[in-house]
Amino acid sequence: MMDVFRLGVLFSTSGDYAAIGSDCRDGAALAIAELQAEIGRDFAIAPIFGDPAGSGARYIDLARRMVAEDGCRHIIGTVTSQARKDVIPVMEKHDGQLWYVCPYEGFEANGNVIYTGACPNQHLIPLFAHLLPTQGRRVYLAGANYVWGWEMNRLAREIVTEAGGEIVGERCLPIGDTDIGRLVAEVEARRPDFVLSNMLGPSNHAFLRAMRDLGRRDPRFTPERCPVVSCDLTECELPDIGLGVADGQLATAAYFDSLDTPENRALKARVAARFGTERRVSSYFATSYATVRLCVEAAVRCGSDDPAHVRAALTDHTMPSALGPLRIDDATNHTGLPFHLGRIAGDGFEVLRSQPCIAADPYLVARRPLLSSSHALKPQLRIVS
Amino acid sequence: MSPTPHFKGFRAVILHRPGETTERLARQLGLLGLRVEERWAPLDAADLPDLVLVDADDGWSGLLPWTPDLKPVPLIALLGSEAPGRIAWALDQGADALIAKPIASSAIYPALVMAERRHAEGLANAQRMADLHERIRLRPLVLGAVQQVMVERRCSEEEAHRALRREAMRRRLTLEQMAAALLSGERMKAG
Repeated sequence: MMDVFRLGVLFSTSGDYAAIGSDCRDGAALAIAELQAEIGRDFAIAPIFGDPAGSGARYIDLARRMVAEDGCRHIIGTVTSQARKDVIPVMEKHDGQLWYVCPYEGFEANGNVIYTGACPNQHLIPLFAHLLPTQGRRVYLAGANYVWGWEMNRLAREIVTEAGGEIVGERCLPIGDTDIGRLVAEVEARRPDFVLSNMLGPSNHAFLRAMRDLGRRDPRFTPERCPVVSCDLTECELPDIGLGVADGQLATAAYFDSLDTPENRALKARVAARFGTERRVSSYFATSYATVRLCVEAAVRCGSDDPAHVRAALTDHTMPSALGPLRIDDATNHTGLPFHLGRIAGDGFEVLRSQPCIAADPYLVARRPLLSSSHALKPQLRIVS
Repeated sequence: MSPTPHFKGFRAVILHRPGETTERLARQLGLLGLRVEERWAPLDAADLPDLVLVDADDGWSGLLPWTPDLKPVPLIALLGSEAPGRIAWALDQGADALIAKPIASSAIYPALVMAERRHAEGLANAQRMADLHERIRLRPLVLGAVQQVMVERRCSEEEAHRALRREAMRRRLTLEQMAAALLSGERMKAG
């Protein structure tokens, strides 16, 4: 019987996307504190916190230390897909389990990773299914210059083109770059119906401020007529952008602070008790909180921190949460998630529309037609005599 | 922009002894929408799947019913060994891509995409080569027809060639077919 569960908590709480990492860490810390109180003295949860500050090398180094030296078989963490892809080989080598809580671009289903963040069929696809018919089909793509930005833009281009729309421009900036003058000038010149922003942290904040200014100069670019939409902007970044600055812009998430459900009211009461009533809860926070609970409760059920046993204990198990009922799909290691579209208003989001739990389809197989065998390329060489 | 490659509905055969390798492969291929069959016996030439993954560590000649220059489906080699002989075997079977063992799930989708593309390119190249061979073989026919047009119209070789090509296009024939028709006595439209 296990008496200590060592959990690595690996989020960048400093650096370019510190606000996101901090919400992830705080959600995990709250869940750990509560679980410890619930479980009692027979069993200790020993969290090992690490802050890689957004550096790939430090992510790898800290993850290796957590699994090889500190005895963690489980790590909750990484914010960017770049960091996740850096850490995965460490988890594979030591047969550890990574719990990834952030929305990402899909096309991954690793046996050593449990994914509780949304993949594109849970964020981008329902978002565009709503926006293309209502907002228009001329779209501008802005991204961060790494796999999230590239893949989200690529997928967006595919969806828009299939729908008969047009990508009127595309630009990717390095993470942390706030020199967004050209980007905004291009948006102004190309006059899209909306902008998809897959930028991160300071770039995105600078862009949203510049779009507010542009909207004031030219009403064609107010959020009503040309919204900036994203799949990763949450409550936790609104203070950094400046409250009110991004009002009216849109974002999708599996959770918003403003959701009025009994589970969310309970979560918010616990957050208020620990962090104060001013604290808004983001999907990063809520997902991280729920994920630690999923993980530790499964370990307690099976009495082991062996990842294979923990995964087995998750099979067919559903846990209520502020994100709705959470269940890990055995086949994909992903979880079904609801889709919410929110409009920024002050320090939170007004929920415009919602869809109940969507099963994760990381390789987007469901939206594809079935290829018949005749599609497969077989040689039809003419015989030359 | 090329659309996201996908394999939904593809039938894949894994030629490998059952075990962790086949389990991992089958799980991930299933996720990608493929129908998977495991087998450790020669493939039936009359019932070929859309994609074959073969154990290159233990595979033997005769497991795959083709010669590499006429490989009918995309082929992925599963290789744990570094032995040059096994790499050569995989190449000799016409492998389009490689997945190293033990299998990392992240290696599977890229290998599928690469294998399908390489296979398609191989087919297109073989077809192009066959067409060029055919044209070279029939070159004397074209030369003969050009000579005939030069004599009939008292024109230069270049003009005769142009006339022949124009007529071929009009009749939607290849230059070679047009030349053969002319030499067998058919008349060209004047002009």
